[in-house]
Amino acid sequence: MASVNIINLRKTYGDVVALSDISIDIETGSFYTLLGPSGCGKTTLLRTIAGFHFQNSGRILVDDKEIQNKPAYRRDVGMVFQDYAVFPHLSVEANVAFGLKQRKVPNSEIGPRVFEALRTVQLDPYAKRMPHELSGGQQQRVGLARAMVINPKILLMDEPLSNLDAKLRVDLRAELRRIQQDLGMTTIYVTHDQEEALAISDTVCVMYGGIIQQAATPYEIYREPANRFVANFVGGNNFLAAGAASTRVSLKADGHVVADLPDATSDPIVAAVRPEVISLSPDGTDTGRDITVAARIKQISFIGREIEIVAIDSAGSEIRAILRPSPELLALKVDDQAGFGFDRADVQIFEDSETGRRLV
Amino acid sequence: MTTPTLSRRIIRSLDFWTLTMVAIIVMLVVLLLLPIGRVFALSFFDARTGELSLNNYIEVFTRNYYVNGLKNSLFVGFMGTLGACVIGVPLAFFTARYRIRGKALISTLAILVLVAPPFIGAYAWIMMLGANGFITNFFAGFGINTPTIFGAHGIILVFTLKFFPFVYLMTQTALNSVNKSFEDAAENLGCSAWQRFYKITLPLVFPAVSTGAIICFVLSIADFGTPAILGRGFRTLSTIAFSAYTSELGGTPTMAVTVSLVMMAISIMALFIQRAILAKRRYASSMTNRPVVQQLTGTSNVLVHLFCYAVVIIAMAPTIVVIYTSFLETSGPVFTGNFGLNSYQRVLSHTPQAIYNSFKFALMAVVLITIVSALVSYLIVRRETAFSGTIDVLMMVPYLVPGVVMAIGFVTTFRMGWFDLTGTATIIVLILFIRRLPYGVRSTMTNLRQIKPSIEEAAVNLGASPPRAFMQVTVPLIMPGLIVGALMSFITAINELSSTLILYNSGTITMPVRIYLAVLHGEFGLAAALSTILLVCTGICVYAVFRFAEDRESSFV
Repeated sequence: MASVNIINLRKTYGDVVALSDISIDIETGSFYTLLGPSGCGKTTLLRTIAGFHFQNSGRILVDDKEIQNKPAYRRDVGMVFQDYAVFPHLSVEANVAFGLKQRKVPNSEIGPRVFEALRTVQLDPYAKRMPHELSGGQQQRVGLARAMVINPKILLMDEPLSNLDAKLRVDLRAELRRIQQDLGMTTIYVTHDQEEALAISDTVCVMYGGIIQQAATPYEIYREPANRFVANFVGGNNFLAAGAASTRVSLKADGHVVADLPDATSDPIVAAVRPEVISLSPDGTDTGRDITVAARIKQISFIGREIEIVAIDSAGSEIRAILRPSPELLALKVDDQAGFGFDRADVQIFEDSETGRRLV
Repeated sequence: MTTPTLSRRIIRSLDFWTLTMVAIIVMLVVLLLLPIGRVFALSFFDARTGELSLNNYIEVFTRNYYVNGLKNSLFVGFMGTLGACVIGVPLAFFTARYRIRGKALISTLAILVLVAPPFIGAYAWIMMLGANGFITNFFAGFGINTPTIFGAHGIILVFTLKFFPFVYLMTQTALNSVNKSFEDAAENLGCSAWQRFYKITLPLVFPAVSTGAIICFVLSIADFGTPAILGRGFRTLSTIAFSAYTSELGGTPTMAVTVSLVMMAISIMALFIQRAILAKRRYASSMTNRPVVQQLTGTSNVLVHLFCYAVVIIAMAPTIVVIYTSFLETSGPVFTGNFGLNSYQRVLSHTPQAIYNSFKFALMAVVLITIVSALVSYLIVRRETAFSGTIDVLMMVPYLVPGVVMAIGFVTTFRMGWFDLTGTATIIVLILFIRRLPYGVRSTMTNLRQIKPSIEEAAVNLGASPPRAFMQVTVPLIMPGLIVGALMSFITAINELSSTLILYNSGTITMPVRIYLAVLHGEFGLAAALSTILLVCTGICVYAVFRFAEDRESSFV
């Protein structure tokens, strides 16, 4: 168990900057998730910590000791791989024993430790099996047992659940979290699945373009996104065209005043509203909320637990609302006019660029 | 503080694989580039004046003797390749798309043709169609004169029947992986069966057909045994190079190397032309819709079966003749007509050394090949640096350099003053090693590409140093590829003639060399017995490849 400090880490491939000045502090025993779209640098960062890549500059400290120049096999960090990477020519127990043997752990100790690790991941009855006899989920449990049996200082996981089917993914993620908490193991987890990141982590670190966009608790990431990218990537968002006259922000559509800025700006701005806070009035009348925007319906998708309605307002912005299905909503048709309502407190204002700063 | 110091970076880069890479590059420079470079330099050396000049090349391209050799080589090479395509492509199409009884037998026979010692075909055809051949005699009994086997058409016949399996096997593999949806789409758009074949299917498998054809062409140009035995005055570049070498023996083999380099240039040009044509054709195919095998009926069914079996049986005929003759009693060069084992007795009493040497050299070379190809394929597949790319390209070179060139290169490179390897077993093992290394590397690379790099990373992450991870995880996983590679290089090493013929002496004679000499001296019984022994060894290895290889047929091409 250890704390991790990453200081000004930089990694480039030719002209491409994969990691730009990354600094992260991870507390002992916490579950830290790197979240971002593919190519954002999250996997590069994880593999640099593991020692599979070397940084151009910067430091990686585990328990205040620099590890950034150690070869991968001397770093003492456990890793769980996206494609399991279970050795196909070794039995389950031989897989789990592999790291212990490399560490010259006495044979008398290996047996009990392997058994204990397999019991933790509920695979003890499968110790003698070969990997090809196991399902994907079971193979990944072997991968987990193999990584944690060596009592690594930190545990790295590279999208460990992404090759599993949806149901299993949810089950195994709860189990991962339980095991991590039981062992109190400092864990760095990589995923592109924002729901998974929110569900499992103590801290979520959103990355994009090799840069950390925001690192905070799941709730804070969702409620208080630091910039437009985070607001969009985590949870999804509507970005309505807006303009500021001095500090007063109004929507381009119908001129509704939605917020006041702390400082006047002349830069382009957008107003963000989460799809799930929107209420809808099917006949286009007032919704009883602070603001009601009239919009023409473009698409209606019924997806069981909820109904998703996409519409275009008079300024051409797309509004997506996620609602509980009701007979009135199901009766709506494309090209119908409807009212989309929300409160001023639901609105956040961002500079209108990909990673535009949050203003309100 | 944040940037590692220079010395630290250097130490970090001196890991196991970097050192291995350096060692491999040094080895390839010494065993591959240096000999070829020496040969290249020799070709600009005027043997009479001792000066550097282009005289050798001028002579090759102006004197009739050489120009005819060049024309002859191109002619038999081109015609042999054409012949191989003409029988190889239909055979591939029939076996891939129609239900053929005994399909496995056909491909097994084709593979046996491929791996049989290269020159036994030539002399077996002499026994069938030569002046005193049994087919010649059979027809002569009816007063019919059969055409002679000697000369260009005989060589073309042998090349066609010897090399068609390359075209057949490569085309068949390609045909099996053409997505049927393309053909369905063409049919849906109104193409008849024949139009579908030549407008869609044939263009899609063209890369494979042309690769097979290029292999035929390169091997035909470099082939020495066939024109040497069947030429009778029809000289090709390879026979000219060899006789130039023997007549220049003791002096500097300048003309021999110049001629050999021209041969090599032809092969390389052919390869580049094929690459240039293929560069514009990239057919990535996702196998969603497998081709269907059709059941033919009636006459067409009979004709297709007849064609398939006729091709492989005619191609196998020389082998069968050789095995048959090995069991005939001989009295001197004459067959008495009775069965007996005296040819084998003669092998054991006259040339046990050749058998022993062949096995010793081939096995030693294969051990080296297996170790080195495990390392080389790891470097090429896992280390994507400029150096590993260079190694990958260098692995093509032995395919293209005729054995004669390599052998002359070895002689001139490894005989310098006190340092003289010529006439030793070492030089033969080394040349077999470098010439057959690509077989091992290729088979191992194919295997390694199917293994996810994360497996090795997991081992390293768990604390195994890179060499330990390689030994404990990678090697067990690439074992099938290593075994197939070892078998393939063994088959080709034990059948090697063109380079060993230049390097051997009485103490290092091998079976193929002894067979060649026996044929030249008319000792057909002895040649047949030795060839049969070679064939049996080769056949056992082929069977083993079948056991170990996942995609058996493509292991051989």
